[in-house]
Amino acid sequence: MAVGTVHNKDKFLNKIAHSLGRERKTSGVVRPEWKHLPQYEVYKGMSQDELAHHLEDQCQRIHTVCKRATSQTLPNVLKEAIEELGGKSIVNWDDPRFEEYNLTKTFEEFASVEGNELHVWDPNLGEENIKFAERANIGITFSDTTLAESGTVMLLSDKGKGRSVSLLPATHLVIIPKSTIVPRMSQAATKVHKMAQAGRVPSCVNFISGPSNSADIELNLVVGVHGPIKATYIIVEDK
Amino acid sequence: MGIKTSDDKFFTRVDKGINNDFMRKAVSGAQERMQGRRLDSISALGDWEDWRNLAEEIRQHTLENLDFYLEQLADNVVKNGGNIFFAETAEEANEYIKSVVASKEAKKIIKSKSMVTEEISMNQALESLGCEVIESDLGEWILQLDDHDPPSHIVVPALHKNKEQIRETFADKRGYKRTSDPKEMALFAREQLRKDFLEAEVGITGCNFAVAESGSISLVTNEGNARMATTIPKTQITVMGMERIVPTWEELDVLVSMLARSAVGQKLTSYVTGLTGTKEEGDVDGPEEFHLVVVDNGRSKILGTQFQSALQCIRCAACINVCPVYRHVGGHSYGSIYPGPIGAVLNPLLGDYDEWKELPYASTLCGACTEVCPVKIPLHNLLIEHRRVMVEQAGKAPFAEKLAMKGYAFAASSPSVYNVGTKTAPSVMGPYSKNGLISNGPGPVKLWTDIRDLPELSKGKDKFRTWFENRDKGGE
Amino acid sequence: MKVSLFLTCLADVVYPASVGKSTVEILERFGCEVDFPKKQTCCGQPAFNSGYHRETKEVAKHMINVFKDAEYVVSPSGSCTTMLHEYPHLFEDDPEWKQKAEQLKSKSYELTQFLVDVLKITDVGAKLNAKATYHTSCHMTRLLGVKEAPMTLLKSVEGLEFTELPNKEQCCGFGGTFSVKMVPISEQMVNEKVQHIEETDAEVLVGADLGCLMNIGGRINRQGKAIKVMHIAEVLNSK
Repeated sequence: MAVGTVHNKDKFLNKIAHSLGRERKTSGVVRPEWKHLPQYEVYKGMSQDELAHHLEDQCQRIHTVCKRATSQTLPNVLKEAIEELGGKSIVNWDDPRFEEYNLTKTFEEFASVEGNELHVWDPNLGEENIKFAERANIGITFSDTTLAESGTVMLLSDKGKGRSVSLLPATHLVIIPKSTIVPRMSQAATKVHKMAQAGRVPSCVNFISGPSNSADIELNLVVGVHGPIKATYIIVEDK
Repeated sequence: MGIKTSDDKFFTRVDKGINNDFMRKAVSGAQERMQGRRLDSISALGDWEDWRNLAEEIRQHTLENLDFYLEQLADNVVKNGGNIFFAETAEEANEYIKSVVASKEAKKIIKSKSMVTEEISMNQALESLGCEVIESDLGEWILQLDDHDPPSHIVVPALHKNKEQIRETFADKRGYKRTSDPKEMALFAREQLRKDFLEAEVGITGCNFAVAESGSISLVTNEGNARMATTIPKTQITVMGMERIVPTWEELDVLVSMLARSAVGQKLTSYVTGLTGTKEEGDVDGPEEFHLVVVDNGRSKILGTQFQSALQCIRCAACINVCPVYRHVGGHSYGSIYPGPIGAVLNPLLGDYDEWKELPYASTLCGACTEVCPVKIPLHNLLIEHRRVMVEQAGKAPFAEKLAMKGYAFAASSPSVYNVGTKTAPSVMGPYSKNGLISNGPGPVKLWTDIRDLPELSKGKDKFRTWFENRDKGGE
Repeated sequence: MKVSLFLTCLADVVYPASVGKSTVEILERFGCEVDFPKKQTCCGQPAFNSGYHRETKEVAKHMINVFKDAEYVVSPSGSCTTMLHEYPHLFEDDPEWKQKAEQLKSKSYELTQFLVDVLKITDVGAKLNAKATYHTSCHMTRLLGVKEAPMTLLKSVEGLEFTELPNKEQCCGFGGTFSVKMVPISEQMVNEKVQHIEETDAEVLVGADLGCLMNIGGRINRQGKAIKVMHIAEVLNSK
């Protein structure tokens, strides 16, 4: 990747140091051990089952349909969820987890129905992916980490995992392996922090909690603005 | 423009606010709902005071080492293929942004909500290039369509407008034909703006927090517009106030968690997006070019002063949502894009005391703002501090007030003078009393009695001192 | 136990003996020996809140001297007690006076706070047949942190029918000089307060700060409403 440019840094930072009444600090600053760490106490020590229950509860508050499945029932639950969201056209990530969970056949069947369209994100197709996602009815993704407290899925971008899939279609369907559920954003943040320490953070880390919404008109909550209008989660027992 | 939104004088703005019935109903209703939601959402977090202490510690540490963290940010931004421009003034920031836009020959720019771009009047600067700059936050879009009506709240910018007014604006400007149902109007905005998102060459965003360790920026939204502005356009420009930075993703978690709760009573907003540099090799969506503009615009003169804590602000508006003054006068009365208690603190710092001299006095010092602030800015104390600076350093205090305060201090620190004064006061006030009340007093008392009665001052045997003395002598 | 009364200038100059008298009688009923240092004046808040801190220091030094030998300082005002607690901040650059100010702070209490926290009293044995509501003054609740004590004591008053004030945490619009500097805003605030008081159908409005009561009471009188305003000391001393 090309290295970018920096403009006007030293003058700017010198001014800050001057205001702070000391010499510029270019090294030696260590993040302190914070005196209070309440964030790790939330849902501490809970089992995956308990966390899954909290996640389900929270989904009700964020206008998100939450379904449960085992690896055996997942194909059917997925099919049902797709139907409830209105079917028609689907854009999927190119993600090996679809195959791991034996969903290839479900999608083949979906695509074989006349009038239905299926598109799997393909970097080689460039802009075509975005155009399809823009007119797709459903975008389907897998959660990389799931936050029980806020009903949030963390999606990490990658070649096959386009940002548009969770954004442009009218609805968003997320498959959540139960093992990905953690208490709250803190655990996910620590994961990304470790990636940063190791030298690479994905270009886009999305924390998504249900459908898009707005309360800008008289504080009335409207579900569905620029992002998806509906969201469905399927929590699946790991294989 | 800058932070200033009105040429009216302070009390003219206040009068307009007080007489705007719809706005006042909307604001008081909003305050109550927001407060309820905020309390619900923090109750589940365990000890909220621990969270506030942590947030304060994070913000203080970051500000104390701001040059270090900004340098770390810069190193990581360029490592990830981005460009970073440090702008000391609004003009520098706008010049740079204009040069980027011009180099792309961009005609259409899509924007997500950003206070700092308002602060530097970036839209006007870009419009001077002949570009169309489109606000994509629903509230901001409404205001933009309505001939640039200024925002009245930092989180809900169109709070002062009712749905009928919004429907009319849509109808006038965009030929909207449906009802004033917020759902229908939001859907209309989705349709209208979707085209703009797909066509815009440049997306411009604000930044809730930059993350130094990875050179990332984060965007906290509910509508998804910030994601749109950073997913489709080929060029992304992000503008941030220089203080909006955290050391690592772990501190980002803490501040975002508190921001969502304090601002809108949500555990997290629908979207919290962390963006690092340009899109990576093989990525289809995301920007090919990324520019981060770090803006000082007066902030460095707050650093290192007794007002430094004001830079801890995360722009959640919790102080606005509890402020009893804001409740009655509304956001436009403050005359700035930053209303409410934080505005009353910030405006004289970003601007000057001449322009903003009334704001520090437009507070009863009730402390509601200080109590809710998630990052523990002692807002009401900073307002007192402004008053002190105006009196002691800026020479802004009215002569009569100075004299009165000198007299007060003399009396209140010399009991003999105090006693003579308090004994003669009732007879001075005597002529104004009627049935034990004063309803039309002299001098400064008149300001009090303009709207309320004053009890007749106690005298002689009615006074506590007389009672206590007599009792000491054995009589009651 | 020896207690020195800090009457406050409003109870001294504006209001008749009743508030101070009630305070003394309640304290004596519970075994306190009450003295009244005659040289006391005002806490300095008018100057402090207006930004006249040099002037405030003069007043503060005087008050520190007045109460220097007191064992406890008790005041029928949350706001003025808060101001006494503010003194140490005034003397950040003056260690000698700062230490004296700390001393005064550590022995100063608002009346109900003193009764509940120091004397451990929850029932004062008062009687008052009335429908009442209570105004929680801002400085007392938020800055001094006294929230429960007045309620604890009011609940023990026989015959008192109590209704909570809607939006009780909201400021009444007094704010010291705010009430004369920002008259139009203050007016709206006190109007809303009076309206909420009326909604409770209370005959008596009780408060622990004469500043607020003078403001709210003044507005009630101006509007010709039949609501009586009482200081909490007067209520707790009713028989």
